Amino acid sequence: MDVLGDLAGGFGTVLEPQNLLFAAIGVLLGTFVGVLPGIGPALTIALLLPLTYNFSDPASAFIMFAGIYAGGMYGGSTTSILLNTPGESGSVATALEGNQMARRGRAGPALATAAIGSFVAGTIGIVALTFLAQPVADLAVRLQPADYFAVVVLAFVAVTSLVGRSVLRGLISLVIGLGIGLIGIDQLSGQARLTFGVDQLFAGVDIVVVAVGLFAVGEALYVASRLRSQGEEELVPVKGAAFLSREDARRSWRPWLRGTALGFPFGAMPTGGAEIPTFLSYALERRLARGRAREEFGEGAIEGVAGPEAANNAAFAGVLVPLLTIGIPTSATAAILIAAFQIFDLQPGPQLFENNEDLVWALIASLYVGNVMLLALNLPLIRLWVKVLEIPRPLLTAAILVFATLGVYSIAGSVAEVLIMYLVGVLGFALRRFDFPIAPVILGVILGPLAEAQFRRTLLVSDGDFGAFLERPFAAVVLVLALAALAGPVLLGRRRPALAEED
Amino acid sequence: MRGTARGTARPETSGRGRARGAVSARLAGVALLLAGILVVVAGTTVRSPTGYDASGPRLAPVAVGGLLVLLSVLLLVRTVVRPDTEHAELVAAMAQATHWPTPAALAVALVAYALLLEPLGFIVATTLFLPGASWLLGSRALLRDAAVGLGIGVVVFVAFTQYLGVYLPAGVTPIF
Repeated sequence: MDVLGDLAGGFGTVLEPQNLLFAAIGVLLGTFVGVLPGIGPALTIALLLPLTYNFSDPASAFIMFAGIYAGGMYGGSTTSILLNTPGESGSVATALEGNQMARRGRAGPALATAAIGSFVAGTIGIVALTFLAQPVADLAVRLQPADYFAVVVLAFVAVTSLVGRSVLRGLISLVIGLGIGLIGIDQLSGQARLTFGVDQLFAGVDIVVVAVGLFAVGEALYVASRLRSQGEEELVPVKGAAFLSREDARRSWRPWLRGTALGFPFGAMPTGGAEIPTFLSYALERRLARGRAREEFGEGAIEGVAGPEAANNAAFAGVLVPLLTIGIPTSATAAILIAAFQIFDLQPGPQLFENNEDLVWALIASLYVGNVMLLALNLPLIRLWVKVLEIPRPLLTAAILVFATLGVYSIAGSVAEVLIMYLVGVLGFALRRFDFPIAPVILGVILGPLAEAQFRRTLLVSDGDFGAFLERPFAAVVLVLALAALAGPVLLGRRRPALAEED
Repeated sequence: MRGTARGTARPETSGRGRARGAVSARLAGVALLLAGILVVVAGTTVRSPTGYDASGPRLAPVAVGGLLVLLSVLLLVRTVVRPDTEHAELVAAMAQATHWPTPAALAVALVAYALLLEPLGFIVATTLFLPGASWLLGSRALLRDAAVGLGIGVVVFVAFTQYLGVYLPAGVTPIF
């Protein structure tokens, strides 16, 4: 078994005492930041990126990021359950039943089923990733520029037409992101584009600048604008320990597995995202509920927390498949992870598997370790995380702005980039006001240049013949799929239910 | 956060609120249209030895700008033909709930923070900004917030410059 040998090598790296310490720090910091209301995993990672700038060993940095990733995800579910403020789209379904459970004095079991469900789903998802990664990377090596272009287009279409309430507004968000992605020196010709004579824009607008601006500053301005009209949020106190009774465990394990089965495949497809599988899981559990559970649904059924939370975590493991093997991020969080790779001049994709095999396997092994640490550290620490939620909101929002500024300043070392980030924040505020989704902007920024490069490379090879995109069967099929995904909802005139989207 | 925002935003059902929402949404459409035109114009000025050749640098900005023009026109059309009343109501409710001076003041505070970062240094700038921004956001515990600002400033500065090797401006504070 080749895979197991590689994985064992990865564990060899991760289980060094120093790296274990980094994993633990990552899990604790990730959970701490993830618990803060309004901060999803994408912003968590973006804000914690500066910690690793000067790490000499990329493996240690990625081990820490695996912990931050796991912790950020877990922290988000705690906030959803106790405050009913999901920090990202994947936690919206969890909040539905989770907050109801907490209000009825069952916060402990809700948090426990979320934590253990995350662990179960995360572990199964990582096992699937372990065995899928190499074969998919082997396939990805054979992809031509035309194929890459087609896959990116499919990801674009999926994120705009499946997320949010309006395909049109989703597409506009995507195009705004594409525009931001174009800013700077063109890689192939060396020409400056859309810089409007501003020297600081020559290097382009970094994805971290965009994400921090949209999520942190946009959010803060939004909170500020509604200060006078928004009611107080209610923090539900946690009574008793985060513990599953035999009855709760019996009711939870099937939803965990079903949620995992939905979450991983959805996450692993180039269409990505955790929103669809979490809501599918919620709907499925609601339909399957019998007896007492059926009565409890809508008023705090544990199945409605266990399923979506498992789906959420499995989907995030799934998202790593296209990210690591093809180099295509399909969620905002994955886009920020690309930035983490870029700090070390690494580019995720099939080449990474060939050139930095040890690093990839250390990363995968650290996902297992991070998951175990999460369970071991967080159930006992639950009271500490609840304390974090008691930080006064004005102070918290102001502190997020400090850390947003700090993060961007330390990445760029210049005040100009910080001001650009604030400007992006104003854009984020406007998008939020007019109900334009945020995630397509982020994916547009990171995937736009990739799509353009592959598009131009294809046409350079084919001497300007657009037929090149249809000659490759793979590219042709994927492009047709993308067209169908875009045209389908429009032609059917179906209105999507009002789902909150963000991440 | 959005979930709560929608939950608390009570959509107006009156025709007037909807009409105002449509006007507001139209403004957004016009802004996007102008941005699209700007991108197209900026795109045509990109120096490209091969002109609009698809493999050159000029096609992408012109295409993206053109797409933005097309989509914003569609958005504008949608506010008149088969208008999205649900969206108009949401925008109207948002407009009603928006108190402009607060975000504007917060934006000014942010710009001041960024501009003072280097002359004053991270610690002093943060000690000033954190209580100021908290106050704008509704906190009235100035002293506590200033103490938190100083704490974050010192801890982050020492951790970043001494242990993580990341540069932060010392400004007027004596360098450690």
